[in-house]
Amino acid sequence: MDFLDTIKEKASSDGNADLNAFSQRGKKIIGYFCSYFPEEIIHAAGMIPYRMRATGKSDTTKGDIFFSSLNCTFVRRCFDKALNQHFDFLDGIIFLNGCDHTRRLYDNWRHADIKPDFRYMFVAPHKIGRLAEERFSEEMVNLKTAVENAFDLVITDDALRRSIHLYNKKRQLIAALYRERLKESVPIKGSELLSIMLTITMMPVEDAISLLETVIEKIDGRKTHKEGDLRVFMGGGCVEEIAHLELIESVGASIVADNLCLGYRHADMLCDESMDPFLSLARRYLNHFSCPRMMNDFRRRLDFLHTVKKEAAIDAFIFEKLKFCDLWGGEMYLCRQESRKHNYPILLLERELYGGSTGQIRTRIQAFFEQVRNQSYTPSELVVSAGNNYKAVMGGITREEKDHS
Amino acid sequence: MNKTKKTLKPFELLNYHMDLKIDILQFLFKFPRFLNGFLFFLRPIYLKKETAWNKRFRWLFLVLGAGKADTLELKAMSHALYAVTDNFFEVKAAKKNREKIVWVEWILNPEICEAFDLVSFNPEVLNVFANSKGMEYPPMIIEAAENQGTPIENCSAQKLAVGSLILEQIPKPSLILGGSHPCDTSISIYQTLEYLTGAPSYIMDFPYWKDEDSYRYYEKNTWELLSFLKKETGKDVDWDKLKTLLDRVNQINNYLREICEMSRAKPCPSSNSLLALAWAIREVNLRSPHMLSMVKAMHQLVRKRYEKGEGVVKKEKLRILLWFPPIPFFFYYFKWMEENFGAVIVADFIGYVSTVHIDTSSKETMIRDLAISQMHLAMGRQCHGPMEFITDEMLKLIDEYEPDCMIFSGHNGCKHGWAGLKIIQDICRGKDLPVLYLNLDIMDKRHTSEEEIKKQTITFFKSHGWA
Repeated sequence: MDFLDTIKEKASSDGNADLNAFSQRGKKIIGYFCSYFPEEIIHAAGMIPYRMRATGKSDTTKGDIFFSSLNCTFVRRCFDKALNQHFDFLDGIIFLNGCDHTRRLYDNWRHADIKPDFRYMFVAPHKIGRLAEERFSEEMVNLKTAVENAFDLVITDDALRRSIHLYNKKRQLIAALYRERLKESVPIKGSELLSIMLTITMMPVEDAISLLETVIEKIDGRKTHKEGDLRVFMGGGCVEEIAHLELIESVGASIVADNLCLGYRHADMLCDESMDPFLSLARRYLNHFSCPRMMNDFRRRLDFLHTVKKEAAIDAFIFEKLKFCDLWGGEMYLCRQESRKHNYPILLLERELYGGSTGQIRTRIQAFFEQVRNQSYTPSELVVSAGNNYKAVMGGITREEKDHS
Repeated sequence: MNKTKKTLKPFELLNYHMDLKIDILQFLFKFPRFLNGFLFFLRPIYLKKETAWNKRFRWLFLVLGAGKADTLELKAMSHALYAVTDNFFEVKAAKKNREKIVWVEWILNPEICEAFDLVSFNPEVLNVFANSKGMEYPPMIIEAAENQGTPIENCSAQKLAVGSLILEQIPKPSLILGGSHPCDTSISIYQTLEYLTGAPSYIMDFPYWKDEDSYRYYEKNTWELLSFLKKETGKDVDWDKLKTLLDRVNQINNYLREICEMSRAKPCPSSNSLLALAWAIREVNLRSPHMLSMVKAMHQLVRKRYEKGEGVVKKEKLRILLWFPPIPFFFYYFKWMEENFGAVIVADFIGYVSTVHIDTSSKETMIRDLAISQMHLAMGRQCHGPMEFITDEMLKLIDEYEPDCMIFSGHNGCKHGWAGLKIIQDICRGKDLPVLYLNLDIMDKRHTSEEEIKKQTITFFKSHGWA
């Protein structure tokens, strides 16, 4: 079995076997939600941060008792797993006010009184700026105190600095992988990178670093795309289904850049190791490439579309959201408006997490890619002047067909 | 969308509230008995349902009490109307004179704009007032927003702001004051509005908790807002003006709090429709002196009934807690239940007032308390944090107001509310309180119509032997 296949296998499971082994060695495991959570604090406490996921769960039967059909499938599936004792290996769980759906996980978890006993709400501001940084660094200190009190331990500044250093190293390695994807010959697929991200967010950072180093070594000189594959940017929040990205890749795409919860946000920005660790963490987590929950940062996200288009030679943008996600719904609206202004090909998808419908999704992506390919053979000024009907202007045939004829 | 554009001229819906008929109505308010008689006489043509013929006045006539309102109630409504139209006229003048217009998000009140002598405008205003011209207008505006890509699942209250902008029903802002509450739609839509208008924006970041740290953070946000407005307008804070307004706001809150207290009496002396209306007027133009006159009249009415031991209905049969927002397109819901079933909504999600007193003795105390009081405004105070912010207040009201049942007006846009439904259900079961769970869109009658709401309510009452 290929090295990356092994990673994929791990990523497709809850990873309980590994985590149980860590547990047996006396390591405590703390679950967390959202890319705005500072894993460093948990690591500095000698514990393993575990990113919560809905992997391996295909229904929401019990979750639906607590959440309604107007809530997204990520929280419904996650909570279903919790009610089915799939997260019993956790020693603590830390929630975040990421969105209206996930913040209610904190409430329902307490109401249902599910293990573990340590349940904590970590609050991230909804804007960036000096005030928010100050507030967020206070929140970091509060989290540290809560963990210390709950587990009767002390998190020293030195330990925290060491953790920050390790996590910076991890970020640099992820960033290196991202840089590799910018190359003309793409050595790692988007789906493979997602497997890696899922795996390294459920293991000690030391192991994650060595795994990433091995990956970088092994992919050297590799080429994952076929001739004619489109270079695609993926935007969206909760994407954890490897098969979904494989499906996109299978119809002629190479995913070379992203703004996913389990994506670029983990690579962007290092913590400043020379300053107060809490303020440094606050600054890094607040200012890294943002999610639509951050209200005063949308222009930077839109500017990124232009930058990434040039840097990664993006042919097409795919944005997707889970049903009932207001935040990504709004972001997709903005991205669509911006893409229209600049004539960027964009596809907006809405889906359920592990919701199937692969046939329908495949057809939509195929049709979109076909449209993008046709458009790329047609002079852009013609496309703009003729709108969607540019084929008619060309006499009903594309530039490629015309060249052939 | 093109069809929609054809049917609405720019600013048609705002202009509708600034023409001769409003002057006539204000004139009629001076003769409340005549007005009541007039509305009562016409009841057969508008009470039951909206038609193509009655749609231009039905909603308004129902809000005015359909001929059964008390004289003081009509007086309060007259002031409410003045407060709203005053704002619309100010905005119109500002637009004409190219003065700055500040959009203020619906849960954030515009007190700070008073300190800078800036014209404030609530971009969600047509949530409620578009119904004046006919109940088809809010859905029409929502559709305009959706057609351009606004997510269907967004709260319709704020889709209306986007739609109103697209259809040129509201003036464009020079500045925007947005907030990160009460829900994800606010967070999302205010980014959209900033993008579409290009207006500089300041975001009030609403904290998750209500504790000293959170209050301090929000206070700092308010100070930062002052700096933002100074920078953007070149004006300085007029502290005396702010003090005058905040003193008035304190009076308003005192009157409203006392009305809420008196509503605990049995029979309940107040129709909560007025408290809900006061919340809406507060959103639109708290700055108007008419707001104080409105709540004074309301207070006078409720106090009069309270002292006589009278209820809002002759024989109170049922006390109801309305949890989650009222329904603007069916604002008559309160009075319909009062009239037909002797059922009185004794407390509701937005009408209940629990803001703090603002100490106006210094600049620092004014800003500190203004920030805290904003965090205690309805919708914001319940929806921004943990579920306890919703359920603790609900439990308090159940204990204090002794309702016989609760109506949960489950608005589609409130996903955080739906995510906590099991908790609400369990609490109500524990209290042995029957609950009607309505599934609706409070701004969009297409989801659940007035008829359907009536039908479900009657069935609920019948199933408990109340009708």
